[in-house]
Amino acid sequence: MAVADFLITLVTFIAIYSLFGIGLNLKFGFTGLIDFGHVAYFMVGAYVTVVLTLPADAPTYGGIGGFDLPGLFAALGPLGSLFGWVLGVLGGMIAAALVSLAVGVPTLRLREDYLAITALGIATILNTVVKDEDWLFNGPYGISGVHKPLVDVFPISLGSFTVNMAVFGLLSVAIFGYVAYWLVNRFRDAGRTGRILMVASVGLVSVWYFVMPVVDGGGTVELTKNVLWLFDPTAGPNGGLDYDRFVLLLSLGFLAGGYHWVERTINSPYGRVLRAIREDEDVPQALGKETFQYKMQALMFGSALAGAAGALWAVNIGFVSPDQFASTITFFAFTAVIIGGTANNKGVILGTAVFWAIRNGTRFIDVPSQYSIQLAAARLILIGVILMVILYYRPEGLLGEQDYDIDLPTSLRGGSDDV
Amino acid sequence: MSEDSLVPSPEETILEVDGVEKHFGGITALDGVNLSVGPGITGLIGPNGAGKTTFFNCLTGFYTPEVGSIRFEGTDITGARPPAVAQQGMVRTFQIPRELSEMTVLENLLLAPPDQTGERLSGAWVRGDQFVEDELDVRERALEMADFFELDHLLDEPAGNLSGGQRKLLELARALLTDPEMVLLDEPLAGVNPTLEEKILERIHELEEQGYTFLFVEHDIDVIMEHCERVVVLHRGEVLTSGTPEEVQSDERVIEAYLGEVDV
Ligand SMILES: Nc1ncnc2c1ncn2[C@@H]1O[C@H](COP(=O)(O)OP(=O)(O)OP(=O)(O)O)[C@@H](O)[C@H]1O
Ligand SMILES: [Mg+2]
Repeated sequence: MAVADFLITLVTFIAIYSLFGIGLNLKFGFTGLIDFGHVAYFMVGAYVTVVLTLPADAPTYGGIGGFDLPGLFAALGPLGSLFGWVLGVLGGMIAAALVSLAVGVPTLRLREDYLAITALGIATILNTVVKDEDWLFNGPYGISGVHKPLVDVFPISLGSFTVNMAVFGLLSVAIFGYVAYWLVNRFRDAGRTGRILMVASVGLVSVWYFVMPVVDGGGTVELTKNVLWLFDPTAGPNGGLDYDRFVLLLSLGFLAGGYHWVERTINSPYGRVLRAIREDEDVPQALGKETFQYKMQALMFGSALAGAAGALWAVNIGFVSPDQFASTITFFAFTAVIIGGTANNKGVILGTAVFWAIRNGTRFIDVPSQYSIQLAAARLILIGVILMVILYYRPEGLLGEQDYDIDLPTSLRGGSDDV
Repeated sequence: MSEDSLVPSPEETILEVDGVEKHFGGITALDGVNLSVGPGITGLIGPNGAGKTTFFNCLTGFYTPEVGSIRFEGTDITGARPPAVAQQGMVRTFQIPRELSEMTVLENLLLAPPDQTGERLSGAWVRGDQFVEDELDVRERALEMADFFELDHLLDEPAGNLSGGQRKLLELARALLTDPEMVLLDEPLAGVNPTLEEKILERIHELEEQGYTFLFVEHDIDVIMEHCERVVVLHRGEVLTSGTPEEVQSDERVIEAYLGEVDV
């Protein structure tokens, strides 16, 4: 596998788990709700979306549905069936929110540590129910043949091999350019330690991505593949944009949407109340805020985002089964949020990237196969050590809590400009 | 208590408390409190542990009394949740300031005003003109309040960095920003410098003239004498006596209550 393909898989993963983490951050980072059952909503979102979009006569499936929403709109062409899938995702998000509503009514009144434990218990129970009740979602056999939106359209080819390579290649280079530009700006703002860390990690990744393929004997072919990463020469007769790359872009699109939605929510008087609840719920209560409603909404909103992440997960893997949704997923997300910076949405993305890069990136370290089990354990140890070092030296996470700002039209601001 | 000529007439009564009891395990914190409060500034005094803070907690819904009823402006609020009580117009300050330490002073203040459009999820998402108008309005009021309480140079400071006295001020400023009708002040002046203390008391009188009602816990008897029209004495969870500051100060039982406390 080319390094580019690995990177595409990794970044897709990171995008999906970042969306999941942003949902968790809304609950935990901004509102102070310790939901150890977050993975349950990932599962609900994945399953409900899959069932809503699964054809009615899907082979080897004996559960409820499928409801074939994409098929319903297939007459309208590929965009129609995409619309059907989006409806399915919406259904998954709503289902996740409703399940969290049912969980929240009895648990949100509990003290926070009780909430954490109860939520963990409920998530485990839900997982067991899905696993044991075959009639529901096919039980332990899972669901294969997950609907993949627009899969027939791919690979996209714009013409001859040269045209494809030029267009998608240029796009790839443009994206690299943008990333570089963005990194330089971050570098300018960063402090000394930040700069050292950035140079080290960017340098390492660059060597690995651009230099290693050449040194390893892959020559310019491998290097070209890596640089023009959007272009897949083996996709279709003339090469083009393949489906994996589309799923990556789709996931990044969802992540961007979720990110901005949460940013809009917290950078507002509403977000102010959420943070007040996190710090001391008695205060907003004494000031007349119905904190229970706020906590419930934050729980439902965060769960809906987890549900969307679940829908993407299903598309990415193409298969769902109960054992994909173990509670470790929740704790991985907590780890990522804490590494990157609790109550910082950019931090969540950074933390998720660090976490999954370590977990999956280390597979490129060449070790004799008899040590592969030790390597897997070493990965977790490394993550644990990083977590401890961060908690000791930077308890607020790599980026720390984010800043808040409510966008007001400057012309109307009047005297409060200095605020 | 028949000697208290200042008991408000039924029409004037804003807060009416009837036989409120609160126990903590073996401790009887409130042992049947009966009290009517009318407009103006009413002082609430009593030795440490008399039950003043517990009384405030019962009034504002943080504790539910086991026995008794509380009526505020004609509505029964016994057992109502704290936000409901605050929305009715009765707001309290905390004896030990509860600043939101990781939020800025300004954000602490902006939190308080009621019915902000952007406080609802729909408002925060849509951001129409009303959102902007409300936020600007709230900011203006918060800045004004910060100015008055001499917190204006600290607006962007995390509230956790404030000094003890400044926290008291923030607590009070925040409560006043909720547009209350009745304010329960739990030792708002403890640790505040004398100049500012005078200013705050002046402000309280201003608000009183505008029709606000205050129930004011304070240990400094001179402040009580000078600023309260009526004083209620709480002792061991019961109203010992009430009346004008002069009446109360010369009451044997009050002196005993305070001195007895010292003797034990
Ligand atoms: N949450 C609680 N749990 C147990 N006991 C309590 C609790 N709150 C108050 N008490 C007890 O109730 C009694 C009254 O306490 P309270 O705080 O109301 O006194 P106070 O009049 O406000 O005193 P101070 O002037 O010192 O503030 C005390 O004996 C106290 O120990
Ligand atoms: Mg007290």
